[in-house]
Amino acid sequence: MMIEALVGLCLVGALVVFFAPDEYAGKLAFGWSLLPLALSALMYLNFDGRGNALLGGSLAFEEQFTWIALGPYELTWFMGLDGISMPLVVLSTLLTTLAILSAWTPIDERRNQFYGLVLFLEGSLIGVFGALDFFVWFVFWEAVLIPMYFLVGIWGGARRKYAAIKFFVYTNIASLVLFIGFFGLVFGLGDSISSLALPEIATALRAGELGPLAGGLIVPEQLRLLAFVAMFIGFGVKVPIVPFHTWLPDAHVEAPTPISVLLAGVLLKMGTYALLRFNFTMLPETARSLAVPIAAVAVISVIYGALLALGQSDLKRIVAYSSVSSMGYVILGLVAYTSYGIGGATFQMVSHGLISGLMFACVGVIYNVTHTREVGDMAGLADEMPLTVGALVAGAFAYAGLPLMAGFAAEFFIFVGAFQSTVIAGNGMAVMTALAMFGIVIVAGYLLWAMQRSLFGPFRFDGDYEVTRAARHDIAPLVVLIVVIIALGTFPNDTFFRMITDAVGPLVDGATAEAALGTGGGSP
Amino acid sequence: MAAESGVFTFAPAIAVLPFVSFLVALFAGKYMPKKGAVAGIAATAGSLLLSLVMLAQVASGHAHHMELYTWVGGEGVPFELTFGILLDQLSTLMLVIVSTIAFLVHVFSLGYMNDEGETGLPRYYAELGLFSASMLAFVFSDNVLMAFMFFELVGLCSYLLIGFWFRRPGPASAAKKAFLVTRFGDYFFLIGVVGIFATFGTGTFGGPGVEESFPELAEAAIAGGASVNTFFGLSPRAWFGVLGLLVLGGVMGKSAQFPFHTWLPDAMEGPTPVSALIHAATMVAAGVYLVARMYGFYALLPTVLAVIAFVGGFTALFAATMGVVKDEIKQVLAYSTISQYGYIMLALGGGGYVAGVFHLTTHAVFKALLFLGAGSVIIAMHHNENMWDMGGLKDRMPVTYYAFLSGSLALAGIVPFSGFWSKDEVLYETLVHGLGGSPLLLAAYAMGLLAVFFTGFYTFRMVLLTFHGEPRTDLAEDPEPVRWNVKIPLAILGVLAAVIGVINLVPVHALESSVPEFLHDWLYHGPEGLNGEHYHELITSPEFAGYSAGAIPGLGELGTLFASAGLSLAVALAGSAVALALYRAPAPEEHTAKLGSLKTLLYENYYQDEYQVWLAQDLTEETVAKNAKRFDDGVVDGFVDRVSDVSLVSGHFLRRVQTGIVSNYAALITLGLVVLLVAFGIVGGWFGGVFA
Repeated sequence: MMIEALVGLCLVGALVVFFAPDEYAGKLAFGWSLLPLALSALMYLNFDGRGNALLGGSLAFEEQFTWIALGPYELTWFMGLDGISMPLVVLSTLLTTLAILSAWTPIDERRNQFYGLVLFLEGSLIGVFGALDFFVWFVFWEAVLIPMYFLVGIWGGARRKYAAIKFFVYTNIASLVLFIGFFGLVFGLGDSISSLALPEIATALRAGELGPLAGGLIVPEQLRLLAFVAMFIGFGVKVPIVPFHTWLPDAHVEAPTPISVLLAGVLLKMGTYALLRFNFTMLPETARSLAVPIAAVAVISVIYGALLALGQSDLKRIVAYSSVSSMGYVILGLVAYTSYGIGGATFQMVSHGLISGLMFACVGVIYNVTHTREVGDMAGLADEMPLTVGALVAGAFAYAGLPLMAGFAAEFFIFVGAFQSTVIAGNGMAVMTALAMFGIVIVAGYLLWAMQRSLFGPFRFDGDYEVTRAARHDIAPLVVLIVVIIALGTFPNDTFFRMITDAVGPLVDGATAEAALGTGGGSP
Repeated sequence: MAAESGVFTFAPAIAVLPFVSFLVALFAGKYMPKKGAVAGIAATAGSLLLSLVMLAQVASGHAHHMELYTWVGGEGVPFELTFGILLDQLSTLMLVIVSTIAFLVHVFSLGYMNDEGETGLPRYYAELGLFSASMLAFVFSDNVLMAFMFFELVGLCSYLLIGFWFRRPGPASAAKKAFLVTRFGDYFFLIGVVGIFATFGTGTFGGPGVEESFPELAEAAIAGGASVNTFFGLSPRAWFGVLGLLVLGGVMGKSAQFPFHTWLPDAMEGPTPVSALIHAATMVAAGVYLVARMYGFYALLPTVLAVIAFVGGFTALFAATMGVVKDEIKQVLAYSTISQYGYIMLALGGGGYVAGVFHLTTHAVFKALLFLGAGSVIIAMHHNENMWDMGGLKDRMPVTYYAFLSGSLALAGIVPFSGFWSKDEVLYETLVHGLGGSPLLLAAYAMGLLAVFFTGFYTFRMVLLTFHGEPRTDLAEDPEPVRWNVKIPLAILGVLAAVIGVINLVPVHALESSVPEFLHDWLYHGPEGLNGEHYHELITSPEFAGYSAGAIPGLGELGTLFASAGLSLAVALAGSAVALALYRAPAPEEHTAKLGSLKTLLYENYYQDEYQVWLAQDLTEETVAKNAKRFDDGVVDGFVDRVSDVSLVSGHFLRRVQTGIVSNYAALITLGLVVLLVAFGIVGGWFGGVFA
């Protein structure tokens, strides 16, 4: 009942905070959020899962019982964690706590509602990563949208309405598309499945039990392709991949900074997590046959996203676009189908969550003080806010892939895994990897450029506000994130990577059919 | 045996000590006397001591390899990525060099930074500590990934230290440039590292007790004795060549070889002790050290060696010509650094492994000396670096003068100062291998030899303008005195620069074989697969590099050796003599006008900065990135906006939302979710009806 307890804690907390007195809401929410954080840490320490959740691995904290019987299906309440989802759960709880802390300064109205929604968001996110039944999963998936919509739409910047609705429309249409795609597969499987449990569906699909649809009009081969593309687009909007990325900068710029932290830190990972669970686990042959376009999308996302970041002058937009670039690496790692590739992609989800969270939090602290994010409006902040600037420099180098920080580890795993991948004939993946790697030069370019102009040089500030040092509770999240980022980069194996590769094992090239569909789960 | 490994268990402390001083200075520096300098001095002294102990251990025949920890490994990954320490002849020598220079730079900083009343000293000493730690860890890395990681950290530290005076625009910009240019090189290096792992499944350099190392695997693969994954259908030799060139990208970036040299002169914006550390022992040295470290791999690849030699020879000449017109003392030294690293590359590419390491060693000493000497002058001149404002400092700061002179004679390559011996060996090795049938090497040699002339010229122009003649300003008339913390490092280095050549007196040994070539013997006795003898076999084997030694016709081996030495000395003296003739006057003239339009070209550094700034800024940033932004805002996003505008449903939806109250949206969203759920139910029922 651990995952249920985790989700329950968040939801009860949301309710409590929602009706708490406004002036105590921030402290209450922070205190409460420590409970799921502590619980998830406890779960992490006691994690005993082996193998892949969808491919017969043994799950940690498993809970499964029939919930509703609907038509020929049983809807089961099915929760459990493997080495892929466990790190993401910890990421969610950690970033939520830190986001709440970083909201103390900027959020000054309707605080109880704000923090209530944040906790509700946390519960939904954990549900997404924990659920193993499609129905349960989809409920949480959609539930994430609700608090996010309000958080951007109410507490956001000047164009918050536009951004919120854009976010909402985009992701809802995406949900519809993926829903259709997935159900095409469910229908195609017909009698070979008796529930919507994701492991059952994955096993059936991988065993080739997909039948024709629409009375034979769509043969299984086409169905696989159509479903893959639909789900790829549906999840890809969330990631986001080019060209479905334009909601992201708007949402980020308008969102209050603590929400940007969660949006970049966790919400984007829903997309890549789902891509891994659905597309790349359930339809591996289709993914391989589409390796060239998928890898091309990845490379384009990396390079084009980085160039867009280079073209911005708003600090938050720079970080927002760089997410597009970083998530492109995840796609590249996934399509490689090697343990370093997919493992690195999963590691990158966590790593990017922490690093982009750090960057947004830093930009937020600066914004709290200066009320501007334009690079040209300020210079030489380093003298006035040394700790914040130090954290921002650390974050920028983490983003640029400095070794011994999490970003380098993740990206190096992806590069090594993708370079040796054979999914494209004639070492095509090596070329794709080399192209995508140029992102590490551009990312250093735009971050150093922005830092040079806004943080260094003689102090100058075109604004009416007094530039003062940030409060301790603004700095604390930055410090925590830096420490975690360094720990992950220095000891990737002992933190997450070992459990990730264990869960990824059955997915990759060279894994035997028995291991892939096996009962023992995990690596031998 | 137990006792030895007992000593070796302290090896990690060589890098850990300065790392601790980084932490101490960062968190407690402001509460400490000297703001963290003491911690740094103690730590680097400890590193030096330990390095010497390791050197002694290795000298007694105990090269050592140890695994530190597994970065990534275990079940489910095709190969492990580990951290380990390799202590052999090359790495212990380099450890001693690096820790010596780092120690002296820390001491010198007391005079240059503390005595000058700098602010931000804890940050300075923290960064200096991290810099030393990263470089030392890079040096003892046992595999190419670990080397890359600390290579990057060295890059970070130079960014931080070059930009130490961040309140001024110059340092902030120079720091960015240094990081970006070297990052561009490291892009290729990283592909190379990835490729090495994908090809060999290991990135280990080798060493005692190491089962598989990539240079050995590569050797076996070319010889047909092992099979590895090559890519793109290339033969092992061709694919290894590609890998070698990729790694070389990082080397050229860090060691400031053409065309990646542009960051280095700008890096003079950093505090001068930092310049000494960067140029003599850390950042710039890291590049060529990497080539020496994996020489067993490069020695297999004649094409790559030729590229290394040619780039080196060209850079040596190219940079030396720019050095002749510079007005600021540190600028002259900056171009001389680029040029001197060109020589080291020339040696390594020309098959002179020992010569390359030798010049790396002597250069570390005399370049650190020259930078610290320049630092002393800069203190005296209240941070005015323009040599035309100096003059006559010889009598006013004799310790600095004589130390600087010793370094200058070494740099110019005048016998018997250290630089003469090493530069001569560099040129000799290239010459004989060129005569052995490689016109390309001969061309590289010719450029290197020509550069000797310019080196002699700019070196003595610098010495004469700074120290000789009449003082040209009031400041030079009455310079600020410097203290022991400046003079002692200068004195130590001054003596070393004069005498360190004794470690490899090649021409003397040829005449009188009882005079040993210490460095040669030292490097030839390295562990299996990592020693000079093995490299020599690879270099001369027709299966691999296929170099052969030739001689000047009619002179024989010995004659060629002395002809080469005599020639390079004569050229150096000629360059020095021209400088003396032009600038020895009490009130020297500039003389640069005589160069005509060439002068502008040299002042503008052959417009190398311009085109690189154009590439990075005008092309990438202003054109490509801004157009990408325009395209994204206008076309990609514009398409979305237009679709939503014309669409009845969403237009209506948007209008309703924009006019409505938030609570309405809640209803909308909930409704959307309910509709999806109901749809699911209906669909499920429908489905059951059809197939049940």
